[in-house]
This record gives sequence, structure tokens and C-alpha cells, in this order.
Amino acid sequence: MKTTTKGKKGASPKVSRKEKTSAILMLLPSTILLAVCSIYPFIWMFRYVCYNYNGFKATYTGTANFNRLASDSTFWKSVGVTFEYAGLKILFIIPLALLIAVLLNLRMKGHSVQRGIIFMPTIISSAIAGMIFTFVFATQNGVLNGILKSLHLIKSPVPWISSTDFVMTAVIILAVWGGVGNYMLYFTTGINGISEDCYESAKIDGANGLQTFFYVTLPMLAPVLKTVLMLAITSAFKDYESIMVLTDGGPNSRSMVMFLYIYHVIFGTTNSSAQVQIGYGALLSIVAAAIVGVVTVIYLQLAKKLDKVNG
Amino acid sequence: MSRFKRAAAAVLAGAMSVSLAACGSSADGSASTASGSAAASGSTTTAAAGAATTKASGSSDGKTVVNVWSNDRHDQEYVTKMVDQYNQTNTDNIEINLTIITDNYDNMIQMAVNGGSNAPDIIGSPSTALTNWADTGIIEPLNSYIDKDPEYQKVNDPYNHAYEGLNAEDGQIYYVYSGMRSGVRVEYNKNLLSENGFTDVPKTLDDYTAMAQTITNNGNGSYYGIGFTSSSPFERLLEMVAQVSGIYYYDYVNGKFDFSGYKEIIEKGQQLVKAAYPDQQGVDNMRALFAQGSFALWSNASQEAGVFTQQLPITDFEWGVAEVPSLTGEIKGALQTTPSKGYGLIRTSKNKDAAWKVISYFQSEEFLKGYLEGGYCLPITDYMDSRIDKTKIGRLADFSKLSYEDVYPTVPSVNLQGDNYRTVLWNAVMGYVSADEAIADLNQRYNDALEADIKSGSVKRLVISDYDPLHPSKGTATYQTK
Repeated sequence: MKTTTKGKKGASPKVSRKEKTSAILMLLPSTILLAVCSIYPFIWMFRYVCYNYNGFKATYTGTANFNRLASDSTFWKSVGVTFEYAGLKILFIIPLALLIAVLLNLRMKGHSVQRGIIFMPTIISSAIAGMIFTFVFATQNGVLNGILKSLHLIKSPVPWISSTDFVMTAVIILAVWGGVGNYMLYFTTGINGISEDCYESAKIDGANGLQTFFYVTLPMLAPVLKTVLMLAITSAFKDYESIMVLTDGGPNSRSMVMFLYIYHVIFGTTNSSAQVQIGYGALLSIVAAAIVGVVTVIYLQLAKKLDKVNG
Repeated sequence: MSRFKRAAAAVLAGAMSVSLAACGSSADGSASTASGSAAASGSTTTAAAGAATTKASGSSDGKTVVNVWSNDRHDQEYVTKMVDQYNQTNTDNIEINLTIITDNYDNMIQMAVNGGSNAPDIIGSPSTALTNWADTGIIEPLNSYIDKDPEYQKVNDPYNHAYEGLNAEDGQIYYVYSGMRSGVRVEYNKNLLSENGFTDVPKTLDDYTAMAQTITNNGNGSYYGIGFTSSSPFERLLEMVAQVSGIYYYDYVNGKFDFSGYKEIIEKGQQLVKAAYPDQQGVDNMRALFAQGSFALWSNASQEAGVFTQQLPITDFEWGVAEVPSLTGEIKGALQTTPSKGYGLIRTSKNKDAAWKVISYFQSEEFLKGYLEGGYCLPITDYMDSRIDKTKIGRLADFSKLSYEDVYPTVPSVNLQGDNYRTVLWNAVMGYVSADEAIADLNQRYNDALEADIKSGSVKRLVISDYDPLHPSKGTATYQTK
């Protein structure tokens, strides 16, 4: 059978001038907002990377801020802490969220209530969560030490947030507590999208629960997992609010993630004969954004390769 | 959906809403409380969320409106009452429009002045360095107004309370302070001390440490000798011990940073923290623990008078106030006090003469007597100290000015790389870094930053060749560009 098509193959349909005008008009408000609230501040930030700027006075310093960046051991240490924090957070939060989502999907009695309870920390502001956890992690009268002691798991109280040995564990517990509900919800949505036919086929083939998870659920969930992992990576690298309230980066900068350090540089205290440094902070922000960007790109490349392997 | 499920879902949704509301309650709560006060006063607006609204400067009902911005909320009740009284009774046809801004105060002023509209005429002294306000021309010197006002001079003694870099630069006074916060004191649990065989707080750091250790040992985990907060802990005791021992981090004579004197303080501090309560939590948490008798020694300035009588009233034991110890028991340097309640005149004000009258009123004997007797702060001048009834100021009297308290000239604020000195010195006290390493690191980083900033023109070197550690505010300050 012969078919004829008008115009070139794949060419987009002709858009009338009226339609173009309405499209432009509809895009205009969001474009203006994006330019004013996002692009302009970004350009504004670039202006000051070669200045000492404290919000009042700007002094041109040439490449001084770049030289300082190279030798700023506190910043580079905070980058290391950020990688450690992000790695540990993702290592625990993603498998835990997936496990919870799968278990809740078995629709045991009370699963909706349990899902609600697990999701609840997500709606609490991270600063409030940090404040609550100072009581949970208190050495002397803390909730966690009380529980561990009553279970005879520890003999003496653990200095969760006042010891360099334990503070990272405390920060990770808070991060997992605050974020697991969110990722659980993503996974639940993904699992709900998997056709029941797949599970029925697996059942007919005699697959047990574990086999069903590894050979049906996990592969079918791969696209969701890929997106969730990307979100988890970017958000873990940017976390700092709850850490600021819980430990303020201490003790001895052991929980000083890079965005918390940048916050201190830009908005820090002025009562220790040190200025706030918006110019240098702007440069650090750009470097930190670049680090997060590079990590995300590397992850996406790896994910692509994995897709090919799976395909 | 079954009835049980529906009920459970409703309960969960309710719980989530409540927790969400709780998360927002802090800011909203303060805003609504403030609105309440504002509505009651009629002449005060509190901009808790940072949005200040003022009447346009100029005439209102034939009156000259003077817009005043302040970031002090603790005294709002008294100030509002006095503003209302002034608005009703003054014969100069002036109306004060007071706005209290609790968030982002310094930026709000800067934006209002640079934006050219809605700028106030008067500001309560901001927290950032005077140089930011004076050198950029946001505020102007008050000398010409002060010189014409003998009554103001009598009450406020401005030239004897001109502190280099804090409210004055090169002989120009930009704010005059009416009050002050005391230097750090030791607040102690008298009952715990006497139970452990002590009656007074020792004068030397060694004896102080030994007492703290004895109490901790005797407490056997139920109470401790001393408590430290996680919020700037070095500043709240050991830095002040260093000050009264004649140790300071800036060498005023040679115009450079010098942290070498802190080695002994760090080493003795390491002994002291061994006797401390196991946690270093936020200030309010530690205050609460002191108030419930968890440790015997706490140290902070005169704000603790209000904290332990109103905010966290101590009723289960007697508490006393003592001077901070020194290394040898001898006072070799001044203890830093923090002046407060100054007012700056905005250069762009169109009503400067009226604004000065308002400043004079805020710093008049009539206004200050009630203010100081209300216990909002301590008097800074001998004159007002002699005019107030000290029986009315409650426990604040325990924090009265000591003969060796003074204000240190403001050290150049540098573009520092890495942690500030208080963080690093505390890290050394905690044993995370050695004392020698900490001192070498601070000397290097602070002086490098100072030299770089002097070279770029960001700061000037402060030199006081006749510097006296017991009277640091009395020297002759010179600023050098090299």
C-alpha cells in the first residue's frame, strides 16, 4: 500500500503567529522570574569573586581569593567531610527506603499508618529536627543513650555530638531519619507502577519473595532508582541546615560540610576580629556548585553505562 | 476504606498538620506577639519577619515625624511606654515613630539608606563594626550636637565613653552609649559549693580547677563541678581569665596579632574541661542544666541576672556571682565590658535637629532612670550610676561595674582564612590540636590576613603606643596604612 505524507519527515507542524505570541506571553512571566531570581543573583555573585566584600565595602583584590582557595585547608577538609557524609547517607538511606517501600507494599495490616509515621519527619523543618536531636543525642540525659543503656547495649553514655569519634554517626542518623520517608515515597510510587502481571508470572514460575524482589521489582524499578539516586546525591551534597543546628560543624570541624563552611564565611560571626567575606564565599559557592555538578555528571555517565549493561 | 483506616488516616493527617504548625510556630508566634504589642502602643511597629514599615519622614498632622529603628526587643515595653508619653507631652511638635526590627537589622538599614526612601532618621547602634557605618557615610558624627547640649554631656559623659573603633573614630563620636553589659562573671551554686566544703570562688585558675574537680569527683555522676556551652565556650571563661591576667590576642603597641600568651591558659583549660559536665550543649540548654543543679560553676555576663530570675528562675538553691579567676590571683589586665544603647543619626535625615532632640530624650536622665531601674542593662556613666535606686535592679546589682572593667579598642577585623581564634583555641583546650600548633597557626593566619588587608586597603593597622592593659581605652590610637 502506498502512503503519501505532506512535508518533510519529522518536521514540526507549522505554528501560527498568534500561537507563537501566546506561547511567548505565557513563557514571559516565568522567564522574567527566572532571570531576576536565579540568573541575576548568579551573575551578581560572580562580580565579587575578585573582591573583599563585607556587605558594606568592596575592595578589589585581584586573584587573592583564588590563591586563598588553593591553600584553604579548612575548606578542602570540609569537602572531604561532605563526601564522607554524602556517601554514608546514601549508603544507608537508599537501601533502607527501598526496603521499607517493598515491605509496606506487602500491604500488611496498618501499612498506611506505618507509611504515614515514616513519612512524618520529612515535613518537619530540618532546623527543628536538628534542635530535637540535640536532646536525643545528649550525653548525660539523652534519649538515645537512655534507650541503649536500658537495653544494656552500652555501659557508659556515648558522647554523640561532643566527640569527634561519634559526631558523624549522629549526623548520619539525623539525615537518614529526616529523609528516608521521602525516598520511601518515591520508591512506593515506582513499585505501584509495576504491572501486577509481572508478579503473577513470577509467582507461576515459582519465584520466592527474594527472587521476586531481585528479578522483578529491582529491574523494573531501575529508572526510578536512577532518578532517586541522582536526587539523593545532589541533596546529600547540599545538606547543611540540620547539621548547623545540631553541631555547627564541630567538634574540631569533624561535621563541617562544605556548604556550612560557606555559610560561616558569608554570614559568620564578626566578633572574633574576622570579617564576613561575601566575595570569597561567592568563589567557594561556585567551586562547591562545580563539585556537586561534576559528581552528578559522573553518576549520570555511570548510570548510562549501567543501562547499556542491563540492556 | 474501613472506618478504622479512615480514623487512622485522619489522626495521621492531624498529627502532620500539628507538627507542621509547630515548625512554623516560632516565627509566626513572635510575629503575632509583636503585632499585639504594636497594636497596643499605637506608635511602635515590630517587624519580626524583617519587613519594616514606617510613616514617611516629614510632617504628620503638623508634627515632625522622627523615624527610629531599633533591634532591641527586650526593652520594648518600657521604650514604647516612654515613646507614647513623649508623643503626647513634648512641646517641640515631634512624633516618634519607633520600628523594632529583629531580623537582618543591619542589612535593612543599609538597604533603606542606599535605596533612598523610607530610611529612618535614627538607628539603635547596630552590631557590625562602626567603620562599616561611618566610612560609608550612613551615619554622621554627633560631636556638634553633643557640644551644644550640656545636660546631655552631664548625663552621658560622652567624651569619657568614646571607645576607639566601637563608637568613635579619630575623635568623631557616632553613638553615645547609655548602658552596658558587664564583663563575664562566675555564677555559682552556693549549695553545691558548701556541700563540698567550699565557701568562696577561688581567685586563681589552678584553685578554681581544683575546686571544680573536687565537686565533680564527689558528685559521682549526679552533679559536676563546671559546665561549658558549645556556643563560643572559650569566650565565656578562659578568654576572660586571660584578659584579667594581662593576656590579649592583639599587640596594640606593635599593631599585630599575637596569640603566644594563650599557651598557659590552654594547658590549664585542658585540666578544667576534665572536671566539666560531659556535654557542651547550646547556651540555653546549659543554663537550664545549671538552674536544675547539674553543675556548680557557670560563667557568663550580666544577662544571666534576668535569665536566672525570670527566664529560668532558680528556686531550689542559692546562687552567687563572683569575679573570674586569673592565672596568679593578681589583676594584670582589664575585663572586657560591652557598651549598649547608643543611637546613630542617619546622614540622609531631613529632620536632624528634631532627631537630635529625640536622641537627647532617649538618653535623658528621666528616660534612663526608669530604664536602668527596670533592669534592662547596667549604667555606663558614674552619673547615672549615682542617680538610680539600686534596690530596684534586683540581681543585676551583683554584676555592677568592677574597677578593672573597660572596653578594649576594636581590633582590625580581617578577611581571615579558616577558623577564628576562639574556635581554634577551644579546639586546643579540647585536645584536638596542640597548644603550640594552635598558636603558630593563629599567628600565621591572622597576621597574613592583616598584612594582605592593609595592602589592599580593606583595613588599617591600629597602633596604640601608650597602651595600658589595665586601661585599654585610655591610649592614643593611630591608624597606619602600612
